[in-house]
Amino acid sequence: MIAYIVRRLLIGLLSLVGASIVAFTLTRIVPSDPAAMWMGPRATPEQIERTQIELGLDQPIPVQYWRYVSGLARGDWGISIVTKRPVLRDLATYLPASIELILFGLLIGFAVGIPLGVFSSAKSGSLLDHGSRLVSIAGVALPSFWLAMLLQLTLAKWANLFPLTGRIDLLMEITNPVRRITGFLLLDALFTGNLSALRDALWHIVLPAVTLAMYPLGLATRMVRTTMLEVLSEDYVRTARASGIRELKVLRKYALRNAIGPVLTIAALTFGYSLVSTFLIESLFTWPGLGRYAAKAIVSVDYPAIMGVTMLVAVTYIGLNLIVDLVQALLDPRVRLS
Amino acid sequence: MSTRARCTAVLVLLCIGLLATAFGGGAADLKVAVHLQGAEIVPYWDPSDGASGEIALMNNLYETLLRYDPDTNEFIPVLATGYQQSEDAKTWTFTIRRGVAFHTGNVMNAHAVKASIDRTIERDRGSAYIWAPVESIEVIDDYTVRFHLSQPAPLDLIAAAGYCAYVFDPEFSDHDWFIAGNDSGTGPYTVESSEGSEKVIIKRFDDYWGGWAGSHFDRVVFLTVPEASTRRLMLETGQADFCESLPPTDIEAMRGNPRIRIEVNPSFQNLMVLYNNQRAPLDNALVRRALSYLVPYEDIVEVALGGYGRVARGVIPHGLWGHSDRVETFTYNPTVARALLTQAGYPNGGFKFLLTYPAGYEDIRKTVELWKAACAELNIELDARAMPTAERNAIARSPDPARRQDIYLLYWWPDYANPDSFLSGMFYTQVRPAYNLGYYSNRDFDGLVDFATTLPSGTPEAIDMMVELQNILQRDAAGIALWDMEYLRAMSSLLGGYRDNAAYPNVVFWYDCYRE
Repeated sequence: MIAYIVRRLLIGLLSLVGASIVAFTLTRIVPSDPAAMWMGPRATPEQIERTQIELGLDQPIPVQYWRYVSGLARGDWGISIVTKRPVLRDLATYLPASIELILFGLLIGFAVGIPLGVFSSAKSGSLLDHGSRLVSIAGVALPSFWLAMLLQLTLAKWANLFPLTGRIDLLMEITNPVRRITGFLLLDALFTGNLSALRDALWHIVLPAVTLAMYPLGLATRMVRTTMLEVLSEDYVRTARASGIRELKVLRKYALRNAIGPVLTIAALTFGYSLVSTFLIESLFTWPGLGRYAAKAIVSVDYPAIMGVTMLVAVTYIGLNLIVDLVQALLDPRVRLS
Repeated sequence: MSTRARCTAVLVLLCIGLLATAFGGGAADLKVAVHLQGAEIVPYWDPSDGASGEIALMNNLYETLLRYDPDTNEFIPVLATGYQQSEDAKTWTFTIRRGVAFHTGNVMNAHAVKASIDRTIERDRGSAYIWAPVESIEVIDDYTVRFHLSQPAPLDLIAAAGYCAYVFDPEFSDHDWFIAGNDSGTGPYTVESSEGSEKVIIKRFDDYWGGWAGSHFDRVVFLTVPEASTRRLMLETGQADFCESLPPTDIEAMRGNPRIRIEVNPSFQNLMVLYNNQRAPLDNALVRRALSYLVPYEDIVEVALGGYGRVARGVIPHGLWGHSDRVETFTYNPTVARALLTQAGYPNGGFKFLLTYPAGYEDIRKTVELWKAACAELNIELDARAMPTAERNAIARSPDPARRQDIYLLYWWPDYANPDSFLSGMFYTQVRPAYNLGYYSNRDFDGLVDFATTLPSGTPEAIDMMVELQNILQRDAAGIALWDMEYLRAMSSLLGGYRDNAAYPNVVFWYDCYRE
């Protein structure tokens, strides 16, 4: 087991180096002038030249890369060209909001998607099955920006059921601020006993989280349905049913447990995917998260910020994959780590 | 009931309880305004560095010596209660207001004014070059400061600039401290909290020298909302008080809404065309003039701007002193264009020009398409390419003239309310081009520009000189302005006290505003 983990960590490290080289090269070959961006719209050629030297942009790309990588090792992730703040500090500011949104979205997605897949497979060919297939295909196929705008228009503007944008009501933020402990607003509100802020934050997260949940919901429903159909045709399930065990128990205890493995993998990958797919959702809901930060960085060719987000997403992907493999081995004795 | 079932029931009840009361709860009696921007609120936190969108926030945190009112061509005393200039406009003495405190608690005086401007000049970032004529700053006494200039310059206008003219506490002027979201100004508001540079909440500064009698907002929230559709929805649902820009289609759609007030205000911003004056056949003024007669000006304003803009007359925009109906102008006239081309020896056209314009601007893209179609009628091809500004500038400033473009489009606005920016910025001879990206060089024109800087701002003599200078450019067709932009402001119909000032683009002086 330990040898396996070490090997995976080494492979992960190599993948990170590869990702950093590709991302660094790409951000440098895209036509842009970071020094000009740094100095603003009215920069003179002299100011730009001076800034190029200050930022080390006058050095060859391999030298710049080496400086960047050694900076990473020291915890210096560079300075964002747009915000003019250390990238690491920016990531620490924006990441908690994204994680909160993604976890909430995934919770909704899997909490609805898994049971839907289970019942869909149990009642294969029924109206419920057809309905769930429709929902799951829509969840995967609908563009998130379209769904976000639809929800904003119907549930926020017309029905006035949910707030339109933001993480918390602005007046609430001013009159009843949540003391920052972890950066996760829901947790901080809970920890500090600020229930009115907690209520408000929960209300704000619903629409963006539902938008984000649609993709994992669709994916989980399809995946669970397929694997469940396979498992339900196994002999041990037939035996369990013949033994008179209640159908619900058969589905939950015998079938789902054996069918859940691939869904775990999907869950981990979806988390990584959601870190990227929140770009549009966060923009539309003015959600102060990493997706918005990344989208802005890409549009502005803010290479230190792009690199920071890339490295963070890469680490997340690699780490989650490793964790999922280990968890799968723990859950299912048939899986061997080798 | 099993333990698991009980836990589930408790959780469900808790959630229902939380959600059911979500709309409840009263807010404190605070007057809070919400200001929406499409772009970054604070690209530059350091008051010495700005040149961009931070202007809207910074002018509520920091103050300048004077404020300029373009409608009356008068200066409003802010941190200076008065000023005098020498006859040669090279020595300017300002009397500093007494009883002004910085947000840090320290007292603002002449020493602070000198230290602030000196730091801005020394850092040489953003629009700091506006202080280039300043040779030295002398503190006469605690409340009198004198500027010695190396050449005549309108220092009253410079001291009233929206960028890089702020006075701040020199004891709190560490760059990293500013970047962390702190301020040390004297303005009516000070930073309460910030979340990146996309949400900044400012609160009223209780010791503000102007006092707080009357109706004012206690807090203002500046929020970046990139999506225009979301900005519009926030206004319509009463979640915002002011939105600095929306597309014309959204403006039209909101016109009938009684909760929204729309204002269309003049700006000092225009869309400029710079011809490459050094490359054939554009080195021939007849060809440049012919191209200028092929621009469908009226159609462009109607189609590209949705009617929200004005056809330019000269390079100085409407509303800024120096703009005049006496300036000669081009109109769309293919017949005259054809005659000019024939006179130049090109009766059949046959040119292909590389035109670069900034990417991401739908109005400019439409403009270029309309112009391109008109040029095609005379067998002139515009090879139009949308590019990021940095990339375009790298081409335009290339040391190799062969690499440069033929036609360069750009938005231009002055750093302070001075028409000279439009003349010397883009047309004064530059050995190493910064923004004279049409590479125009006319020593007579340069001499007149130098002379114009010695004339007091806005006087009839100065205006006459501006007209003459613009007519030189028009006759040479060195470059032309296509349209003067108009700012489309959408705000809550309850917002009172708002007055647009083109010298401070996108700035709402929130201290003057209130909710009716």
